[in-house]
Amino acid sequence: MFLYHRDTKFTQRFTESFSLCAFVRPLCLCGEKLLITLALYFCAIVAAQAETLTVAPTNARFQSIQAAINTAQTGDTIAVQAGTYNENLVLDKSLRLEGFGKPIVRGMGRDSAVIITADNCTINGFVIEHCGNDLQQEDSGLLLKSSFNRIEDNELRDILYGIYLLKSRGNTIQNNFIRGRAELEVGSRGAGLHLWNSPDNIIIGNTITEARDGMYIQSSSGNVMRHNRVTNLRYGLHYMNSDDNKFEDNLFSDNIAGAAIMYSKRIEFRRNSFIHNRGFSSFGILFQDCDDCIAEDNFIIDNACGVFLEALRKSRFRNNVIAENDVAMQIYSSADGNEFSGNNFVENLSPLQLVGRETNTRWKQNYWSDYSGYDLDSDGTGDVAHKVQNVFEYLEGNFPRLRLYLNSPAAQALATAESTFPIIKGSALNDAAPLVQPISFTYPFEAAPQRSPQLLLAIISILILISALTVIWKGQRP
Amino acid sequence: MDINAVTTIAKQELTINIRNKWTLIFAGVFSVLVLAISYFGMITAGAIGFQGFTRTSASLLNLVLYIVPLVALVMGTLSFTSEKGASEMLFAQPVTRGEIWLGKLLGLFGSMLTATLIGFGLGGFVIAMKAGTAGALRYPLFVGFSLLLALVFLSLSALIAALCQRKNRAFGVVMFLWFFFVLFYDLLVIGGTFLFKERTANHFIFASLFGNPVDMTRVGSLIVLNGKEIFGVAGAALMKFFGGEVTSISLLVLGMTVWIVAPFLLSQRLLKRQDI
Repeated sequence: MFLYHRDTKFTQRFTESFSLCAFVRPLCLCGEKLLITLALYFCAIVAAQAETLTVAPTNARFQSIQAAINTAQTGDTIAVQAGTYNENLVLDKSLRLEGFGKPIVRGMGRDSAVIITADNCTINGFVIEHCGNDLQQEDSGLLLKSSFNRIEDNELRDILYGIYLLKSRGNTIQNNFIRGRAELEVGSRGAGLHLWNSPDNIIIGNTITEARDGMYIQSSSGNVMRHNRVTNLRYGLHYMNSDDNKFEDNLFSDNIAGAAIMYSKRIEFRRNSFIHNRGFSSFGILFQDCDDCIAEDNFIIDNACGVFLEALRKSRFRNNVIAENDVAMQIYSSADGNEFSGNNFVENLSPLQLVGRETNTRWKQNYWSDYSGYDLDSDGTGDVAHKVQNVFEYLEGNFPRLRLYLNSPAAQALATAESTFPIIKGSALNDAAPLVQPISFTYPFEAAPQRSPQLLLAIISILILISALTVIWKGQRP
Repeated sequence: MDINAVTTIAKQELTINIRNKWTLIFAGVFSVLVLAISYFGMITAGAIGFQGFTRTSASLLNLVLYIVPLVALVMGTLSFTSEKGASEMLFAQPVTRGEIWLGKLLGLFGSMLTATLIGFGLGGFVIAMKAGTAGALRYPLFVGFSLLLALVFLSLSALIAALCQRKNRAFGVVMFLWFFFVLFYDLLVIGGTFLFKERTANHFIFASLFGNPVDMTRVGSLIVLNGKEIFGVAGAALMKFFGGEVTSISLLVLGMTVWIVAPFLLSQRLLKRQDI
C-alpha cells in the first residue's frame, strides 16, 4: 500500500510517524531504550515506503529517466509522462518504470536502449526504439540480465533484437509489440524475442513482426508461450536444446518457416496456428532430433510443407488440422515411433513425402479428405484402409525432381494404375481405420482475411465474356 | 502474302465454325465445367478457405490439359481436311495456298478463342468475387497459356492434315498424338529419368519439358498460379537452371511459340508440293 503514493503524501506520512513517536513517549515505561527501538522501527517503515519520482520533458523534478533511476531507491516507482527521451537506460536497482501516454525512450543508436541488471523490475507502457546495430553485442531494445522482471504493454521498434533474455529467469513478458528493422536484410536483423539460458519465463500476448526470427530460444527450459502472434519474418520459432516448453494458442503466419524445433525434449504445442509459411524449403513446423513431443489441436494450413520430421522420436500428433499444404508431411526414415491420430488431413496437394526407404510412423483414425473407401457398418470409420500415399508420391519422396510432374495426367494415371492393377507396388503405409467425417474444430483466430472482389479481374472477365458472346451472336446472323 | 485475303478466309472460317453446332456444344460444356469447378472450388474452399484459389486453379488446369488439346486437334483436323468440294472451291480462288492455310488457322483460333473465353470469363468472374489477394490477377496469364496450348494443337492439326490428306487417317494420327502428348510422353520421361545420374536426370527432365507443349503449359501455369514453391526442391533446381521466374516463364512461352510456328511452316511446305 505504500508503493504508489506521491511526494507530498510521503512527507505527510513522515511527519505523522514522528507525531506518533511524540504521542507514545509519555506512555513509555521502559524509557529511552524502547523509544529508540520504536523510532528505528518507524524509520525502517519510512525507508521501505516507496517513493514515486515523476519524469516529464518539462515542469518536473526530472527531465531524464536515467537521472531519476540514479536518484531512486530500490522499490521506488518512476512515473514517466509522455514525450521523447533521448537516452540509453540502465536499470541497476529494483524499480518500477511506468509510462503514461506512451513516452518514447529513444536510444542513442549504440548498445541496448534499455538494460536491466537488477531483479524484480517492471517496465510498463513505453515505446522503446533506436538501439545499436551490433549483433555480437546483443544490441536490443530491452536487454534483461536479471530475473523476475515484468515487461508489459511496451512497443519496441527500430531495434536489432527486441527483448533479449540473457541468463534471465522467471520473467513475465506480456502484451508487447515488437517490430524489427525491416530495412535490414533478414539475416542481419536480430530475433524479436531472444532467450538464452533463460528458464521459467512466461511470455503472453506479444506481437512480433519483421525481425529475423520471432522467438529464438536456446538452452532455456520450462517456458510458457501463449497467445503470441509472430508474422512476416524468417523462422517464427527457432529453437535449440530447450526442454519442457509449452506453446499454446500462438499464431505463426506468413513467415519463411513457422517453427523449427531442434535437439529438445518434451515440447508441447496446443492450439497454435502455423499458416501460410511458403518458400522452396519452407515448412509449418519442423522437428529435428527431438523426443517425446506433443502437438494437439494445432492448425497447420497453407504451408509449402506442413509437418517436417527428421529424427523425431516417440511423439504424438493428435486432433490437428493439416490442410491445404503443398506437402502435408515430410518424414525422414530417421523419425522413429511417432503417431498421428485423429487429425484432419484436408486438401493437401501431396499427403506424404517419405525420404528414405520406410518409416514406422503410425496413422490411426485420421480423417483424409481424399479417402475413397466406404463405411457400410456406419461405425464412423471406413471399412477399407486408406493408403497414405500413391505410387507417384512414393517415388517423389526419393526423387524430388519428379515433383515437376505434379498434377500431370501421367501422375494421375500412375495412381490409377496402382489401384487398378495391384501388380504395381507403391508404399504399404496406410491408415487402417480412417474416419469418414472430419473431426470438428473451431478456428481460434479470425478466418482468412476477408476477400474483397478483385475489381480488375472481374472487369476483364466480363469484357472477354461479352466479346466472346458478341462474336457468336454476330456469327449466327446471316 | 495478301493480308486481306488472309483475313477474309479467317472470317469465313470463324463464321463456319461458330455456326457449327460442335463448337457451340464445346463452348457450352467447357463453360459449364469451368463454372462448376470455380464455383464449387471457391465455395467449398478447403477447411477454412485460405487457399481456394490454388485448389480451384489446379483443377481448372487439369481440365485445360485434357480438353483443350483434344478439341483443338479435332476442330483443326475437321477444318483442314474439309470435304472435297469445299476445299476445291477455296483452292480455285486467286489466293495462294499459304494464305488459305494461315487464314484457316487464324479463323480456327478465333473460334477456339470464342468458345473457351465464355468459360474463362465466367470462371474468372466467380474467382474475382471469391478469391481476392494477388493470386487472382495471375488468372489472365493462365488463360493466356491455355490459348497458346490451343494454338499449338491447331498448328499440329494443320501439319497432320497436310501429311495425311485423308480425313480418316488424319483422325487416327490425331488420337494417337493426343494420347502421346497428354500421357505417354510424361510416362516415358518419368521412366527415362531413372536411367541417369542425379544431376543429368535433373537436366534431362528440364530439357524434356520443351518436347511437350502440354508439359510447358502445366509447369508454366502452376508457376504463374501457385508460385514456384509448389515444385519444392525440383522447382528451386528448375529456377536455377533457367535463371529466375520471369526468365522461366519467358522461355516456356518461347518454347510454345516454336511449337506453334514450326509445325505450321512445315505443313505449308508439304502443302506446296502436294497435288490437290
